[in-house]
Amino acid sequence: MPADKSAPILELDNVSLRFGGVRAMTDVSAKVYKGELFSIIGPNGAGKTSTLNCVSGRYRPTTGRILHKGVDITRLGANKRADLGIGRTFQNLALFSGMTVLDNILIGRHHLMGAGFARGMLYWVGGAQQEEAQHRATVEEIIDFLEIQHIRNEHAGTLSYGLRKRVELARAVALKPEIILLDEPMAGMNLEEKEDMARYIVDLNEEWGMTVVMIEHDMGVVMDLSHRLMVLDFGRKIAEGLPDEVQANDDVKRAYLGQDHGVAGAPAGEAVT
Amino acid sequence: MIPARFAHVEANDTLPKLLRYNAKHHADDIVLREKEFGLWRTFTWADYHERTKLWAIAFRSLGIGQNDAIAIIGDSRPDWVASAVGAHAVKALSLGIYQDALDSEVGYLLNFAGAKAVVAENEEQVDKILRAAGNESALTAIIYCDPRGMRKYDDPRLVSRDALLDAARKTAAAEPALWDSLVDATSGDDIAVLCSTSGTTTHPKLVSITSGRFIRHAATYCNLVNLGPDDEYVSILPMAWVVEQFQALYQPIVCRHKLNFVEGPATVMADLREIAPTFMLLAPRSWEQIAANVRAQMMDATRFKQKVFDLGLKLGLRAVERGSKSGLAQKLVLRALRDRLGFSRLRFATTGGAAMGPDTFKFFMAMGVPLLQVYGQTELGGIYCMQKLGEVDFDAVGTGLTGDYKLRIGDADANGVGEIVASHPYMFSGYYKNEEATKADMRDGWMHTGDAGFIKPTGQLVVIDRLKDLAALSSGERFSPQFIENKLKFSAYISEAVILGDKRPFPAAIVCIRFPIVSKWAEQRRMSFTTYSDLSSRKEVYDLVAGEIARVNATLPEAQRARKFILLYKELDADDGELTRTRKVRRGVIAEKYADIIDAIYSDATEVKIDTEIAFQDGTRQRIRTSLPIATLADAKPQARSA
Repeated sequence: MPADKSAPILELDNVSLRFGGVRAMTDVSAKVYKGELFSIIGPNGAGKTSTLNCVSGRYRPTTGRILHKGVDITRLGANKRADLGIGRTFQNLALFSGMTVLDNILIGRHHLMGAGFARGMLYWVGGAQQEEAQHRATVEEIIDFLEIQHIRNEHAGTLSYGLRKRVELARAVALKPEIILLDEPMAGMNLEEKEDMARYIVDLNEEWGMTVVMIEHDMGVVMDLSHRLMVLDFGRKIAEGLPDEVQANDDVKRAYLGQDHGVAGAPAGEAVT
Repeated sequence: MIPARFAHVEANDTLPKLLRYNAKHHADDIVLREKEFGLWRTFTWADYHERTKLWAIAFRSLGIGQNDAIAIIGDSRPDWVASAVGAHAVKALSLGIYQDALDSEVGYLLNFAGAKAVVAENEEQVDKILRAAGNESALTAIIYCDPRGMRKYDDPRLVSRDALLDAARKTAAAEPALWDSLVDATSGDDIAVLCSTSGTTTHPKLVSITSGRFIRHAATYCNLVNLGPDDEYVSILPMAWVVEQFQALYQPIVCRHKLNFVEGPATVMADLREIAPTFMLLAPRSWEQIAANVRAQMMDATRFKQKVFDLGLKLGLRAVERGSKSGLAQKLVLRALRDRLGFSRLRFATTGGAAMGPDTFKFFMAMGVPLLQVYGQTELGGIYCMQKLGEVDFDAVGTGLTGDYKLRIGDADANGVGEIVASHPYMFSGYYKNEEATKADMRDGWMHTGDAGFIKPTGQLVVIDRLKDLAALSSGERFSPQFIENKLKFSAYISEAVILGDKRPFPAAIVCIRFPIVSKWAEQRRMSFTTYSDLSSRKEVYDLVAGEIARVNATLPEAQRARKFILLYKELDADDGELTRTRKVRRGVIAEKYADIIDAIYSDATEVKIDTEIAFQDGTRQRIRTSLPIATLADAKPQARSA
């Protein structure tokens, strides 16, 4: 899907994040455009997950602003941001292991369900049943898309790591977000699982039109998939641009090869990833 | 002779005519079900008829007509069968291609048949077609059913199914008489189906079959096994195989049994259980796989459950030996197991294509699943030889379906063994564009199958092997490698075996372990291992397999016993050309590819060094460096070795 460069859908404006004396992010600014597949890379502890957490509303920046379609959402809670169409997955799995795959994904739709406790009690007459059927149809569409039909009724806790990652993506997609934030979607996967996941992400972006912001360590994947990317190191942005430009950037090479860093010992951002 | 119940097929001897007949008389009865988005969608005869009509009009709009070939590639789906019947309605030939065929195989078939259009299920198949069919091919339309992933292509031959059928819908409304005139013009004497043979040695040949014959063949079979509208069938075999076209394309339209399509290859067992079919056909390998899976799952169960299972199975098997049924065993284990596997309504099940072990047979019979062996060739319209209920014989494949199906043994030797020669009124019309091969195999109306076999005193046919695969030791003793391989494969621990020995002093075996079972076995013994290659090079596993081979050896004449064996570092695979798509061993490929290993087996070496690359389905390669021990069986006389 070609990105619409007229106005950013998401903007980080001089965002800094401090935990006591630890500076997780320092003056990070970036723009993500609608339809883009935007990646954030950097060594361990560079502040990638912190950046994603600031966008999703889990952390509140110490200074700076987060803008969504030009509107300041810095003070907005995480659930309100979900209403705006910002969905996410987590680096460490966060599924309900005692629930089936289907129910786990249906939870992703919970935010969009109108029936509350009272109508839920009157399941058949209050319209909650019809509503569930409609949501179920959307969930099945996602199950089909991510090719997890065969585990639909399995308990999430019994699945392999690669499949659980896929279910987690399904749950984030169930929200039908406009922007989806993916925190290391391919970590711990084997080559085949990675290739499948890469295809799903590209299809989400190109066929479903979702704007994707992704953290990923596998450089091959990042360089292949991303339209643009940003490199963080010690909480600072050291580069941003097209994959080729970033690869050629000397600062990036240094950050990755660890040359010439000046700071000895543990870097400042190490405590927070 | 056509049974009275199916008299209407005489006047409706093409699929489009018969489908129109059914849609007129049974419009609202359900014929197809497809599981999609977690739900079973149903199609009535009227729906099936309407869909087929649209496909036919769509093909016509693409300029496809008499004797043009239309290829279909993809999993079993309603559109697979509807487009095939639609092709017949414009007098075109339908050609099913195996959905897991490689580029080169797809390209060969498309170009050899001169296919003008291809119906492709999804992106995966379109990828293959675009890579395989050069621009010089006759292909004018590639019709894709699932639009996902199509955005990256701009090939002008690509057409979306939905757009094509929408246009056809308008044409059908504007010209209401069109469909009937198309259907009326079809003739049962015209060739309708092209079906590829398995091609154990060379490129597959295409077999031409007329609808008139295939329909009468199906009517005979349905009458014999008493199939009707109350029967349920689940299509899980590849549609390109002649037997599945017989069962899923022809049979339902002839006898109106219901046809169900599963959601995907991974959901087969769950979907099977939801439908609970009344009859089914699987290859012996699949039956063995199911039995092996049950065993593997029981290995994981609690000690108590294992005890109950063992007891129930023992009682059940003992009852089978007596020819009766054990009520206790049924209550304890077998009924629940049958339900779990989706076999609770099964009236009969068939197995064909290769031999199956007596243990697997008895396992299913104890469960109350009557397994009948069937035999046939693509050229003879699939199944024409089958066991009748109650005719249990683990070695044989039964007799001709009716008196019209004739069998004899050509050039029989002293033991009555010779080439199986068969004839029936509904067989193929010849090989497509290959007059020479037709003349070679069809002489005076009899098909020379190339299979070696004999007829038992009971009248049942026994199939031994391909004639040309019979091997002779350097001492001159003739034997059938496949016969020994099958005996080995009856072991739960062996998934594939290749017996060597042609022009050699003694037989030897290349064996592939059955990974799910052997890995469980290893876990129980607290053996740690990493991959298939690693596990199969372990001494413990060698000892395990040696025991299995020794058991088989004990049943064989002295000279035919395998003296040495190795466990291969990978499984044999159709993608590597080692097996055919129907999973028969390609001996030529094995002999060439593993020449080093084979030479080492017949030398004094005790191990053979391997340094090779294996290619995975996703195109990646892995280098394998290992040394395979060559095992010599203790009870066999050492011949080549002095030590």
